[in-house]
Amino acid sequence: MSESTQLGSQLVDLCSVLLLLSCFAIVAQRRLSACVDLFALQSFFLATTAALVAFLTGHRHIYLAAALTVVIKVIVLPRILRKVIERLNVSRELVMNINIPAGLLICGGLVVVAFFITQPIIPLGYLLTRDSLALALAIILIGLFTMIARKKAVTQMVGFLVMENGVFLGTTAAAYGMPLIVELGVFFDVLVAGLIAGIYTHRLQDAFDSVDTSELTVLKE
Amino acid sequence: MTTLLTVLLGCYLLGGLLPLCTSRPHLQNSLAHSSAAAGGSAGIALGLGGLFAAQPLTISVPSNIPYLTCALRLDPLAAFFVLTISLVGLAASMYAYGYVREFTGRVSVGLLGSLLNGFLLSMTLVVLADNGFFFLIVWEVMSLLSYVLVVTEHERRGVREAGLFYLIMTHAGTAFIILTFLLFAQESGSFSFEAFRHPDQRLPEGLRSIAFFTALIGFGAKAGIVPLHVWLPYAHPAAPSHISALMSGVMIKTAIYGLIRVYFDFLEGQFPWWWGFTVLSVGAVSALLGVMYALMEHDLKSLLAFSSVENVGIILLGIGAGMIFHTYGLDELAALGLLAGLYHTINHAAFKALLFLGAGSLLFATHTRNIEQYGGLLRRMPWTGLCFLIGAVSIAALPPTSGFVSEWLIFQSLFLSVQLPTLFLKLMLPIVAAILALTGALGLACFAKAFGLSFLAQPRSPQARHAVEVPVSMRIGMGFLATSCGLLGLAPMLVVPLLDRVTAPFTGVTISGKVLALDGWVVAPVTVEFSSISTPVLAALLVGAAGLGLAIARLLRKKTPARYSKTWGCGLPLTPRMEYTATGFVQPIKQVFETIYQPTVKLEQEFLEQSKYFIRHQRFHSTIEPLIEQYLYRPVVTALLGAAERLRVIQAGSLHLYLTYIFVTLVLLLLWAG
Amino acid sequence: MKTDVQVMLQIGFVVMQLIMLLALSPFIVGVIRKVNARLQCRRGASLLQPYADLAKLFDKQPVISSTTSWIFTAAPYIVFASTVAAGLLMPVFISHTPLNFAGNIIALVYLLALGTFFLILAGLDAGSAFGGMGSSREAIVATLAEPAMILSILAIALTAGSTNLSTIVHQSALLEGMVLAPPAHLMALAAMFIVTLAETGRVPVDNPATHLELTMIHEAMLLEYSGRYLALMEWAAGIKLLVFLTLLVNVFAPWGIATEATPLALATGVAVYIVKVTGLAVIIGVIESMFAKLRLFRVPELLGSAFILALLALVFFYTLRG
Repeated sequence: MSESTQLGSQLVDLCSVLLLLSCFAIVAQRRLSACVDLFALQSFFLATTAALVAFLTGHRHIYLAAALTVVIKVIVLPRILRKVIERLNVSRELVMNINIPAGLLICGGLVVVAFFITQPIIPLGYLLTRDSLALALAIILIGLFTMIARKKAVTQMVGFLVMENGVFLGTTAAAYGMPLIVELGVFFDVLVAGLIAGIYTHRLQDAFDSVDTSELTVLKE
Repeated sequence: MTTLLTVLLGCYLLGGLLPLCTSRPHLQNSLAHSSAAAGGSAGIALGLGGLFAAQPLTISVPSNIPYLTCALRLDPLAAFFVLTISLVGLAASMYAYGYVREFTGRVSVGLLGSLLNGFLLSMTLVVLADNGFFFLIVWEVMSLLSYVLVVTEHERRGVREAGLFYLIMTHAGTAFIILTFLLFAQESGSFSFEAFRHPDQRLPEGLRSIAFFTALIGFGAKAGIVPLHVWLPYAHPAAPSHISALMSGVMIKTAIYGLIRVYFDFLEGQFPWWWGFTVLSVGAVSALLGVMYALMEHDLKSLLAFSSVENVGIILLGIGAGMIFHTYGLDELAALGLLAGLYHTINHAAFKALLFLGAGSLLFATHTRNIEQYGGLLRRMPWTGLCFLIGAVSIAALPPTSGFVSEWLIFQSLFLSVQLPTLFLKLMLPIVAAILALTGALGLACFAKAFGLSFLAQPRSPQARHAVEVPVSMRIGMGFLATSCGLLGLAPMLVVPLLDRVTAPFTGVTISGKVLALDGWVVAPVTVEFSSISTPVLAALLVGAAGLGLAIARLLRKKTPARYSKTWGCGLPLTPRMEYTATGFVQPIKQVFETIYQPTVKLEQEFLEQSKYFIRHQRFHSTIEPLIEQYLYRPVVTALLGAAERLRVIQAGSLHLYLTYIFVTLVLLLLWAG
Repeated sequence: MKTDVQVMLQIGFVVMQLIMLLALSPFIVGVIRKVNARLQCRRGASLLQPYADLAKLFDKQPVISSTTSWIFTAAPYIVFASTVAAGLLMPVFISHTPLNFAGNIIALVYLLALGTFFLILAGLDAGSAFGGMGSSREAIVATLAEPAMILSILAIALTAGSTNLSTIVHQSALLEGMVLAPPAHLMALAAMFIVTLAETGRVPVDNPATHLELTMIHEAMLLEYSGRYLALMEWAAGIKLLVFLTLLVNVFAPWGIATEATPLALATGVAVYIVKVTGLAVIIGVIESMFAKLRLFRVPELLGSAFILALLALVFFYTLRG
């Protein structure tokens, strides 16, 4: 590897690590609005990573994906979510299924697991982003964990979006991104999912006077 | 050497028999304890001699019973444990001379003294035994004698239950040890340890793993590893304090001896990496859970017993790390891990025995073991207080004491995981180091509580207020151990070469030359550039810096002496009720780790009729859930009881029916055999 | 063989380091207070105020509680001694500090723990509820900080291939130019920083400026102290802060530290060190002004994050290497 790609690879690693760190920040955060802000920040890191990869490899279509990430995940979706939070008048998540320190420890374990799983694959890769694959898997797992650990619909939505970020990072890392048409499709999916979740949260609020999804257990009776 | 051995055995035997020949308590007391002390002194000499001997000393007395020979062998490993046992034995017998007065009139002093001698003798023979059969016999004698000693105060209900629990657990453990030895005996055709360790008679792979687990369970039950530790916090505190000191300080170490003997000697130190990792994990869990429960305990002796579980865990961390390194052929690191484990073994023997003797002194002076009833004892019992403080600082692994040196060595061997070839272990060993750090910090909190709430501030009960210092002989016993603790900490250059002789036969390398740098003033595994400590220099630095503080204070102050006045109590006269209690002290920790403790709090309040803002009286009840007992033992016990219930169907109480059972069984057996 | 001159030189370094620790620590405390004051739109006391405070306290007649034992009067000396001894083990302005052989970074951590132990005892000794409360809280904070600290130390040690502070600092100081810090290093730094805040009793874990019984930790333990005993305790707290700041700057940013014993290098080392430590003190002051103190039972979340950061640092050290 030449000097500049080495540096580029390190920069990509650094950005991916910041992505992962923002995941942990989300797990450790009680305030809903801060969770959303952190998600926006994470998406921004994601866009930076994508742009870096695009710059280093010359794959133009990744620039587009990066730009879309900025528009949809840094600007539009957080705005929707903030609006939902404002209207619902919930600012903090006080009760969780798993308390924060334990959640952090579990997420730490998930990172270790992700690294173990990808350990045999990573040396096979030749791309400069190969290390990010493990990080991407870790982010996906943590996203899923957030959806399990939290009770409020909004944070569960954030967890879902974090997972999606992980998938995006994974595809960028493993294969320099998906074909453009698939990426566009995914972005629209995410956008629609965000809208639906927003509406769903409202309905939840109307039906149960709360956005606590554990209330849904009442439905079985 | 042989003479020393004879003297040792003779002293213990005399000490066991003579006190029973007289009926005068005072004479019994002197006879029993002076011969135990003489035996202990001989044991120290024998241990030191055995460590330096070029050849192991072997003595063999054949017997008529098949497979049984009373074979003794004093190799460096055995010598090290003889040294440890005798060190604590000597201190305990000096202490006991004064302490047994506590029991006059209730328990026969002669019997107690005689049992003490027998107990010391059996422990010494356990580590000297060179024949599986003989080992099992003395092991069983040791267990039974300790059981009898545990139930010394059998008129108390809790004591009887603790004794029974101990008996069941220790026998279950012995069963597994028998299994281990049978595996070896089956392969070698003999019960002699010589045959066990003979390289030609290697067990097949599968059986080796079974032997590993049976040994771990069998010896682990005695050592008190989690989850087999449940009996320990009941049994150890129930015994008279000098016996508790022996049980916690030394008896559980015989299990460590057994593990090392089986793994490194009989199995020739050849094992897959996951053996070491299993030992390491068991050690980590024991260390953490042990200290966590110790912290919540307000019975001083139970606290110390739980802390023994912790320390056995720490010892196993060293041994486990050594085993892992051994698997990968990193002999010097393996020796380092093993050495660290053994260092902690002797350290723990010294400071845990010291603390138990200290606890015994408190019991002697106040007749209670409850920390909540102590307080202000440092002013009333300065010597006991000082000794207990030395023990507490050592067990909290604070520099420059002995616990610090051994824990530091274990940290180093865990850090050296960087040299291991697999990523899994490279990551796991540092995580274990973090667990050890957490354990150490919790241990600090635990012994700050144990010392601070027992000895400082104002007495919280009339007993504590009227406590007086204990007799001289007890102070000598404690002082001896406190000095040993200091020596073990400040002079690692004397201890490391001894331990090196123990580990060298198993790992094939001597490392004392490497570990001790700069003429022995520095302990430095690998190189000084990698890591080093020097406890003598640290001690000098501490003294120097304290002197500097004193000098500065002298220079800058006016010549006014300090004024004494009351502690500020928000304008109210200060009463002991305002002090923080032990429960209050650990409350934050209980709340932070509530996942493990699962605390339940019950508050009953009764209000005045006139107003619900005034409470007539209230009761606060707080308990924690012992996880292991709740989720592991209770289901087993319930299932056992259920099965027994069902089996009751065949119990009709009729003699004829029982005879029929025997008859049918006999016929069936005959048919099967024919 | 070492010649006499060299031995004298080494002793000289030790004395110089000692004097720097003792002399600089009140200044650092002053800097943080000043920054806090400025950010609250106050002028604040002079930077030299802590020196005057110490001098005043040493001069005052101490009042000792009549319920206490000798632990109470001995504790200030032990706390002071352990902190100073810890400070002498680490490189301050020269990477090869003479007393380094006496203890590596673990020893340093445990020396500080010795101080904590006696501080806890001292808090309990006076027999008032406040002292006990402080001791109890100190115990939990110290307990939770420990694993994070050891793991982050380990991550640093792995990068340098040594747990010996002089070697760590010397090696990173010799690296030429600014290198892009690997993620492992950054995370270990973050973890260490959080631990520093917790161990030295700064906001958001403890507030050194408060005497409100519901919130104080360190101050609660010192509540019964006065005169020279209080002075020693306060001074020790200042030195402990300086020890942690020195660790942070010298391990993570060792630029400019003297790697050899030439007068020029030493002069640069001292000057750069003072600038760096002061800069870090300013950062801590700013952070203290930005955040509110956490509830005690939120502290585990903060220290849990530090632990996770340290753990990630370790994972990344082994898995991400370019």
